[in-house]
Amino acid sequence: MENVLSILFCLSLFYVSLTLRVKGYIAVLRSQGIILAILLLYPFIYDFSVYGVIIPLTILIIKVFFIPRYINKIILDLDIKRQVEPTIQQMTFLPLVIASMILIFLATHIISLITKIDVIPFASGFSAIVVGIYIMIFRKKLIVHVVGFLIMENGIFLFGTAVASELPMMIELGVLLDVFVVVFLMGIALNKIRSSFEGIEVTQLGRLKD
Amino acid sequence: MIEFLVFIGLPLLLAVFCYFMQDMIVQFGLTLLAAFSHICLSALVFFGFYEANLPVFFGLDALSKLFLLILSNVYFWVTLVSYSYLKKPVMPKAEEGKKFYFMLLNFYLASNSAAILSSHFGMYWVAAEATTLSVAPLIYFYRNEEALEAMWKYLFLVSVGIAFAFIGILLLTLSAEGTPLEGRQLFFADFVKNAGVLNPIWLKASFIFIFVGLSTKIGIAPMHSGDVDATSNAPAPIAALMSGSLRITALLGVMRILQIISGTSCYEFARVILITGALLSIFAAFVSMFRINNYKRMLAYSSVEHLGIITLGLGVGGLAFAGALFHAVYNSIAKVVLFLTAGNIHRRYKSRQVDHVKSALTSMPKTSWLFMLAFLAISGIPPFGIFFSELKIFEGMLFSDVPALLVLLMFFLLFIFINMGRIIFSMLYKKGSDEPALPEPERWESNHAVAIILLIILTAIAVFSPDVLYQNIIDITKDFGIRL
Repeated sequence: MENVLSILFCLSLFYVSLTLRVKGYIAVLRSQGIILAILLLYPFIYDFSVYGVIIPLTILIIKVFFIPRYINKIILDLDIKRQVEPTIQQMTFLPLVIASMILIFLATHIISLITKIDVIPFASGFSAIVVGIYIMIFRKKLIVHVVGFLIMENGIFLFGTAVASELPMMIELGVLLDVFVVVFLMGIALNKIRSSFEGIEVTQLGRLKD
Repeated sequence: MIEFLVFIGLPLLLAVFCYFMQDMIVQFGLTLLAAFSHICLSALVFFGFYEANLPVFFGLDALSKLFLLILSNVYFWVTLVSYSYLKKPVMPKAEEGKKFYFMLLNFYLASNSAAILSSHFGMYWVAAEATTLSVAPLIYFYRNEEALEAMWKYLFLVSVGIAFAFIGILLLTLSAEGTPLEGRQLFFADFVKNAGVLNPIWLKASFIFIFVGLSTKIGIAPMHSGDVDATSNAPAPIAALMSGSLRITALLGVMRILQIISGTSCYEFARVILITGALLSIFAAFVSMFRINNYKRMLAYSSVEHLGIITLGLGVGGLAFAGALFHAVYNSIAKVVLFLTAGNIHRRYKSRQVDHVKSALTSMPKTSWLFMLAFLAISGIPPFGIFFSELKIFEGMLFSDVPALLVLLMFFLLFIFINMGRIIFSMLYKKGSDEPALPEPERWESNHAVAIILLIILTAIAVFSPDVLYQNIIDITKDFGIRL
């Protein structure tokens, strides 16, 4: 089950590197949130406990409901064009993503020979981190950078489940809250950037130099 | 319980209170009260008069005692001058920024104390991220485009960096596989005790991720740009707070993993990385000092340089390690004076450009003299403390396995000193063309008094070298298993 969900997660990464619509990016965020929530809920089907359901529910609320809605609202408020505006050709971006993912899966396989790890979730999580960074590098719109950051965070989350690290619930909730506040602050900053700069692309941010 | 309340609970409550309270004087008074109780209690804890008893996920050891005292010292003085600073901000647009100033300041104190007091990697991460969140809106205090860009870059870069540090923490769990630590919580102390059995490959990977991630926050090259932008565009008290205490808090995370690694076979590897990063940052400061024309940016690069020196000391080990800890104390004090006096100059000349500041020594003698003294202090001129700590670091390097690096370091520091001196003396002495014959005399302000007190403290610590501080630093080196 874990592997199936991880592969679905990987497919969402392919979709995000193919699509050029900002809407598509937000849909990917939603689906990744759902995948992560199911992944965490799954063990509780057989062995239900109220205590364990809190974190998946929080993920569902924050990652599937609040954050995508908030980003949608920013896009509507700021009247952002619905294209992501890549800085490199889409035909180079996709092979780059695929090559990186193949490399990551191969490397993970080699690593799994010496340490006990779940290959597919581990590699999927790492791929999401890399794809998130690529999105931040190769896209012009600042709002898309925020989405890239969130995809990276999702990747780290999956990665965390793969290495079977169990952080205490309080800290897990703290992490989620931190991410939410980061996105919230970034949204406020985007609003301000819109009103004081000409556009909301990374090319506008070039005032600070030595 | 009372210590937890004073260190974390009270500032957090005050942050909520300041959100609803409109009156600035009440906000200032209560914030100052919290800062005062914070510094009193952390001094009591530091001097050993009070045995702190903190709840789970928090704890105190020699290292956190020292860093907590640094934090509360910087925070107290910064809060003290904040009100007079807010009354006369540099730009009129800042009115809106005032509203949340004390709220964010209190939130900063709570999160930074939590980060320093944490005894668990996860807790440290959450608190360290919260410090970023509290500082980012403060950077945007002036409400202009530069500040906005600086805030965005800082928030984005540091959030990504801290996410990297989180990967490092997860890899640390992986390194515990097959050891007694497997499935246990990520407490620092447990990992230090069982450091020998950890998987070295994962430990190395974890160190790289944590160091690279946190170096966005410490300001270690090549990840220093966001930090420099933020420090140079933030208002003076916030810049002082960031340079004096926030960077040190981020360094704490690196030191925690260094403490684990120092007992294993990976120690050499970690040293190489630390020394490389440190030399790169000193080099970055060295290069930029040649072509800088913004004096706040110059001070921000000076922070990059000094954090580089501290990291270098940590990497070299031995006596240099102890020197680095002394340097962290002295640097935090000197940086507060530098940024506060630079803030006065900024307010008078309405510009951060070096060319726009002419004959400051005649138009604002009090600030200028203090600025010059602080510059001499930060450059390591005796009798100020930094001279002694740098001497310790140099001595440690000379008798370590990398004495050749000392030549390189001295070369960089010499040119940084010359270039900073050139810029600062041109600001103080160079005559402008359109000067009024008799400039209005400069009045005494609270930040002059604070600067004088801090410069006296800086000298006094170095001259009297209190036993408590010395003993504390010896305890830290023992915790790290370093022989002096």
